Amino acid sequence: MGPFDLIAAIPLLPLTAFLVILFAGHFTPSALPKCGAIPGILALSGSFIISLSLLPLVYSGNFFNNSIYLWATWSISDLHFGFLIDPLSALMLVVVSLIALLVFIHSLGYMNDQNEQGLFRYYAGLSLFSFSMLSFVISDNLLMSFIFFELVGFCSWVLIGFWFREDAPPKAATKAFLVTRFGDYFFLIGVVAVLVIFGTANFAGPNSFPVLAKSAILSGQTLNGLDPQTWVTIIGLLILGGVIGKSAQFPLHTWLPDAMEGPTPVSALIHAATMVAAGVYLVARIYGFYALSPTTLAIIALVGGFTALLAATMATVKHELKQVLAYSTISQYGYIMLALGAGGYVAGIFHLTTHAIFKALLFLGAGAVIIAMHHDGDMWNMGGLREKLPVTYWCFIFGSLALAGIFPFAGFWSKDEVLLETLNYGLGGSPILLIGYAFGLIAVFVTGFYTFRMIHLTFHGSPRSQAAREPHSLRWNIKLPLVVLGSLSLLAGAINMVPLGEILGIDLSYLHHWLDTAPSNLTAHHYHELTESFSGYHSAYFSSIISAILSLAVAVSGMAFAWKLYQSPNPTESGTVYSTRFNTIYRILMHNYYQDDYQLMIASLTRNKLATFANIFDQKYLDGLVNELSSKSLSLSNSIRRIQTGAVTNYALLLSIGLVLILFIFALLGGWL
Amino acid sequence: MLIELVILSAFFSGLFILFSSDENSHKFSFYLSLIPLLGTLIMWINFDGSGNALLNGGKIAFETYVPWLSLGSYSLSWHVGVDGISMPLILLTSILTPLAILSAWTPINERKSQFYGLVLIIEAALFGVFVAFDFFVWFVFWEAVLIPMYFLIAIWGGTRRKYAAIKFFIYTNVASLVMFIGFMALIFGLGDSISSFNLIDISTALHSGQLDGLGFLDASTLKYVAFIALFIGFGVKVPIVPLHTWLPDAHVEAPTPASVILAGVLLKMGTYALLRFNFTLLADVAQKWASIIAIIAAVSVIYGAFLALAQTDLKRIVAYSSISSMGYVLLGLVAYTVYGLGGATFQMISHGLLSGLLFMSVGLIYNATHTRSIEDLSGLADKMPLTSVIFIAGAFGYMGLPLMSGFAAELFIFIGAFGANFPFAKLITAISMFGIVIVAGYLLLTIQRVFFGTFEVKGNPDLALPQIHDLMPLVVILLMIIALGIAPNIFFEMIQDAVEPMVSLLGGISDV
Repeated sequence: MGPFDLIAAIPLLPLTAFLVILFAGHFTPSALPKCGAIPGILALSGSFIISLSLLPLVYSGNFFNNSIYLWATWSISDLHFGFLIDPLSALMLVVVSLIALLVFIHSLGYMNDQNEQGLFRYYAGLSLFSFSMLSFVISDNLLMSFIFFELVGFCSWVLIGFWFREDAPPKAATKAFLVTRFGDYFFLIGVVAVLVIFGTANFAGPNSFPVLAKSAILSGQTLNGLDPQTWVTIIGLLILGGVIGKSAQFPLHTWLPDAMEGPTPVSALIHAATMVAAGVYLVARIYGFYALSPTTLAIIALVGGFTALLAATMATVKHELKQVLAYSTISQYGYIMLALGAGGYVAGIFHLTTHAIFKALLFLGAGAVIIAMHHDGDMWNMGGLREKLPVTYWCFIFGSLALAGIFPFAGFWSKDEVLLETLNYGLGGSPILLIGYAFGLIAVFVTGFYTFRMIHLTFHGSPRSQAAREPHSLRWNIKLPLVVLGSLSLLAGAINMVPLGEILGIDLSYLHHWLDTAPSNLTAHHYHELTESFSGYHSAYFSSIISAILSLAVAVSGMAFAWKLYQSPNPTESGTVYSTRFNTIYRILMHNYYQDDYQLMIASLTRNKLATFANIFDQKYLDGLVNELSSKSLSLSNSIRRIQTGAVTNYALLLSIGLVLILFIFALLGGWL
Repeated sequence: MLIELVILSAFFSGLFILFSSDENSHKFSFYLSLIPLLGTLIMWINFDGSGNALLNGGKIAFETYVPWLSLGSYSLSWHVGVDGISMPLILLTSILTPLAILSAWTPINERKSQFYGLVLIIEAALFGVFVAFDFFVWFVFWEAVLIPMYFLIAIWGGTRRKYAAIKFFIYTNVASLVMFIGFMALIFGLGDSISSFNLIDISTALHSGQLDGLGFLDASTLKYVAFIALFIGFGVKVPIVPLHTWLPDAHVEAPTPASVILAGVLLKMGTYALLRFNFTLLADVAQKWASIIAIIAAVSVIYGAFLALAQTDLKRIVAYSSISSMGYVLLGLVAYTVYGLGGATFQMISHGLLSGLLFMSVGLIYNATHTRSIEDLSGLADKMPLTSVIFIAGAFGYMGLPLMSGFAAELFIFIGAFGANFPFAKLITAISMFGIVIVAGYLLLTIQRVFFGTFEVKGNPDLALPQIHDLMPLVVILLMIIALGIAPNIFFEMIQDAVEPMVSLLGGISDV
């Protein structure tokens, strides 16, 4: 029995944990160790170990692509659940299960040690989330992906609203679900269209929809009245709706900052490292489909680049530590989208991986800080925590350097490759990508700025509140995950050090080779050929060293600017040039470009105007007409008018009259009379 | 024989309870309602039907055919049986009835024996509607459902019960009349080619082109007229916008168990009849007008959802949402694809369970807080955790959360309708699908207001844990919803088998 026989256990272990926690939590809460944290940790350890053990197998060229459960019969192919294990999903499995495991451990400190109530609900939610997310990752078809895509959204709703007795968390949960549901509406049309047009939703194999789409385009046949290229673009954009919703891209990014109302470990797992990654992971999963449509790719790249910059600017003025990280998350997923849209499949997955690690680290670090600050997340009340929380500080610094893209931390290598690929294909004949590149490069400066503003305000300077002077102490369960992720933030870049390889003259692009060991239609190489022949992407082979130096220089200048503005022991926002001279800009940034405002306005107009209008129309006119009609016809006859009194005998009368009438007509037409 | 036993056991149980004393009538009726349940379960296990009952080559399971009497040149017969479409529906009926009876234990305190007796009589009549293949027999059952339901609303209903009951009664009775006349016109148009009211004979005659004109109507006009009359007649029951205005009043005034039966099974009489009559007997007309019918379906979905969004009474929200869900059934029917027709039938079952679950949980909330107004309720999850969890689970099922039955049903309908070949099928389907966003909107906002935030209820809420007999029906339904969501094939294979002949009847695209 090899690891491939245990694939099903990867999602099923957390599912079992969910059921155990749910039932034990309800019937015998005292019997549940650590309110359910222990079953969760055990389950996720199992998933993590199995996921790890898949890696060598996959590296040696094995893969798994089988249907395992027939969900509903269908005449053409079938609607089933199945597993697809290839380099992409195997890598993602390791990342997701590792981070989920660390978040469970962190929760011991963040939730249990703080004596939260209703914890079994929390751990049940986290376990169900892990199950759904892992199932999403190993899906072998688009329908199954959609199913678990929705389920992770549900878990996110449950966990954002964990503190349901307060007002803000349930509101944030509702908003998160609704905004992502809006995106999923398009995604669902996409799923339905894929099933109807191509007759299968499989990702891999000779009868998968990307392969069928490719051959349809090559053969030039029409599909359901449209040419296949048009279908690929339409379906690609529809699925992209779900991606934009889940990965919080412009204009559907507005739910993510609100989602920070949930417990911080939840933010780390769901709203930074995994669920939000589901969107971009999906793009990577069906990259063979997206690569066929230059229009869709360009839209992905532009949305990504624009979001990267837009969200980064919003992060520069926030007061709450978690808010900065939330906007930063939106921005970083923008980079991943930019890479994928620009033909940088490997770069996108590289950044997806490193970002998952360093952003989980930053959120867990923020969790540590918030505990230390006695549940105050406002950076203006912090300051000087460097001496009090050394472990947290250094781990946080590692994460921040990775986020800002500073050599030699993981984010440097991955973000650099994103920009390099965009530049390469932009210069190589797809100039529209250069716009995305420009957005991305400016965003590097802004990222450097907000990251070090955050560091300064949180850890440097002098304490600005009682809590910051006497922080709560932290236990091993908080520190251990930080140290693990901190080391990874330093080292994870080693999987694909392209510029260093160019300097040394050796090939260090291990991730590239890893992704090339996939089945033939899923390799990075294959995708490269597709973007080249279908979307006209040609690499200009720009020097990776120059590109790296450029983005590093931009990032460092952003850092330096933040250093200049916030280095004083008691920094103030209003004292800086930045806010007085750019007052209007500051206000717009504080209001997030009024994105939330207009979306809320649409929502309330729909509800208060449109729905109310429909209701009045219905009651007054439709129903009014009916009432009018019946009262008119009833008043025709005095004897029948008594119907309105409601006496039962009258209905018997009415019934009899009706029946006689019917029989009469019947008899008349039938010719018996 | 089994079918007759099921119908008669329900009917005589009903009569027995009706004339027995109030004391313990709730328990007796519950136990007695298990007999038909057992009967239908045995039927399900031994189900050996295949194909569509009304179309060539269909094998009807548990068929009984007894010539009865003759009316002029027509003979009437007791002809009953089930196929893959009616089997799940009678199971739904026999499952929901005992659960509805349990949910009545707490709120119904007056004239108990009459209440439970009528419920069981409705059950018997509902079985009849789903199994009869002779038009006259079918029509008698169809009308027989109305009278006890009228009394349930008029006697045990809320403050405006009389208005609601009369409205329900007149609305559906006028509709029956229109439908009856339409059908009779069809019968006379068929002239000598049929000698009975057997729906199978009528179906064969219609599909072999035996229809003549009637009076000044030629054959094709007659078909159109009959189609419209039947569509209006059944559309009231579904209900299809704009024939829906009886529904919210009836639901809001009806006691919880009556709402469960009303939304859970009675509405399905309308879609079931549409499927059998409009979409099987007059399939060619239905296909000719497919785009228009699909637009009507889309309007029902979106308009119903908007109406639900505007409500502030929990029960009205659930009531209006039914209009939306039943719009999807119509969309699936008109698609004329295996997935469309099959999804529509599956949605009938799924919606029966989901709306039953939501009505029952609203009932529990009402029993405890004596209000259903969203504005009077806040933070219930704090003090009524079990009820809250069940309502929330049901609401997510209603929104189409995957791995619950609603998702499967709606997905099948969407696939079927998207793949249909009437003009603008894809566009109309895509627009109708927007219903899934609005439904999430009003249900989530409701959940947020009613269950979350600080606990606050006007008046004197009774926060004792709900009784086992209050909770059990909810748990059972929830488990069935999840089971059908994880394994839709429990019913879907059977349904698919029964709708396939309908698709090939018109040479539709059978692959979707």
